[in-house]
Amino acid sequence: MLSRDEVEVVLFTLGVAALSTILIFPLGLGAALALSRYRGPGKGLIETLLSLPLILPPTAVGLLLLEAFSLRSPLGSWLAARGIEIVFTWKAVVLATGVMSFPLLVRSARTAFEEVDPQLVGLARTLGCGPAAAFFRVTLPLAGRGVLAGTVLAFARALGEFGATVMVAGNIPGRTRTLALAIFHDNQVGRDDRAAVLAGVTAALAFVALWTTEALTRRLRRRAEA
Amino acid sequence: MIEVRVEVPLGAADLRVEAGLPPAVTAVMGPSGAGKTSLLQAIAGLRRARGRITCGDAVFLDTERGVDVAPEQRRVGYVPQDAGLFPHLTALGNVRFGARGDQAQVETAIDTLDLRPLLDRRPATLSGGEKQRVALARALATSPRILLLDEPLAALDVELKERVLPYLMRIRDELRVPMLYVTHNVGEALALAGHVLLLRERRVEAQGRPLDLLSSPGLSVEAAAGIENLLPGRVVAHDAIGGVSRVELKGGIPLSVPLAAARPVGAPVMVAIRAEDVLVSSGPVKGLSARNVYEARVEALERTGADVTLRCALPAAPAPWLARVTPAAVEALALKAGQPVWLAVKSHSIRLL
Repeated sequence: MLSRDEVEVVLFTLGVAALSTILIFPLGLGAALALSRYRGPGKGLIETLLSLPLILPPTAVGLLLLEAFSLRSPLGSWLAARGIEIVFTWKAVVLATGVMSFPLLVRSARTAFEEVDPQLVGLARTLGCGPAAAFFRVTLPLAGRGVLAGTVLAFARALGEFGATVMVAGNIPGRTRTLALAIFHDNQVGRDDRAAVLAGVTAALAFVALWTTEALTRRLRRRAEA
Repeated sequence: MIEVRVEVPLGAADLRVEAGLPPAVTAVMGPSGAGKTSLLQAIAGLRRARGRITCGDAVFLDTERGVDVAPEQRRVGYVPQDAGLFPHLTALGNVRFGARGDQAQVETAIDTLDLRPLLDRRPATLSGGEKQRVALARALATSPRILLLDEPLAALDVELKERVLPYLMRIRDELRVPMLYVTHNVGEALALAGHVLLLRERRVEAQGRPLDLLSSPGLSVEAAAGIENLLPGRVVAHDAIGGVSRVELKGGIPLSVPLAAARPVGAPVMVAIRAEDVLVSSGPVKGLSARNVYEARVEALERTGADVTLRCALPAAPAPWLARVTPAAVEALALKAGQPVWLAVKSHSIRLL
């Protein structure tokens, strides 16, 4: 049903989505926690900037990334001098999907953290927890559902990411071609039937991810209410 | 000894407290917004403060020497008004939370607060009084240097209060953990505390022994109004059929009160009687429904507002009882100092604190 190349595309896409989600997870939780606690000036500005990738055209974000990491840029040449090439490699796919899904994780997690009663965190401190222990023993478990939902949303977004990826990683078969890119490519070359199959695979993957989350969330809620 | 000399930044006006508190129970009282909760938070290390806080040998805060111990190292047991249980843990999980594996301490806390039947329950399924007991056990299981209780009974109705209060007395008497106890309730303060710290508008208005403080003139303890007679005693027996409990006041004075089966026999109680609920008779009382009649002698008459307050000495009682009557009654009974009177109190006008 799926050709060998197509199976590779599916596995590559899953791998990239998983890796980018794993990489943005600690960063996203850190940002979400900082935003949920921060009360100083510029809060609105920082939040808006972090959410910008949600509303910008993905190709615009891709263009920015391309400019930032290309060999002509200071960052790109600095990395290249250390043997790290980003643009038009699989790393660029991870970068693009990570950047695009990051705000989804941060928004969900931030809301979840804001709903945790700060008094409970203070109580955990008086009960012998340092700030880190209080986070892992109280804040994170209580925000668990929101964090989980944000993580799955980020993963699903990464599965389907197209615009930023195509700008910064290109559409190189066997190197940077993800499911979304393969669907576009198949359609462009007149293989609409293959495009439809891959679209079906993408939908199935997203469905499984979301459905698993729903089930997990229901179990967490039941446990919290039991 | 707990020494507190702090300034706590708090909105418009700083909270300023200087107090030396005995290593027993101190009631922190005062109107809302006086800074009671902020004081507890500063002692717990949850609110920034300047100055010096010590608890026994432990220095929590000494700004001059650059000491500001983190909350997790102060070993204070903090219990907020709503108990603040962790909703994702069972009662047992909550009690164990801060105990660092000290199983003996956990067991003691569980037994002190009679939590055995509740251990598997989630906070959402516990009643208000049960939540408070779990929160107290959780705090106790950390072997705290001091307990900081922020109106732990305020959210409970009268009946639940009466069930939780004896546990607090047990913690005070058996475990001897010092406490700072925020309350609006004079009865609770008197029942538990040997010392009162009265805050008003973010300053210490007064501190001292509760009865001295509450009866001192000019002191505005709104809540104190109306409870003039506060008599320490002990539950002697319950008579379920008769609908009364018997209490013996200091000096061996017997008293019938409405059935309070939740108070174990032998438990210390504080009895509250409003001065206007004490009936005064110039002759022996017979055939009256009031259960409690005592022979006494008028020591003094004092004009209080539109009424007259009589200070009446009971032969066995350590302190005089106060009775409030109208000037017309004083005239009708020809009441004067030194005169023998009979005082009667209906069981139902007596409250146990």
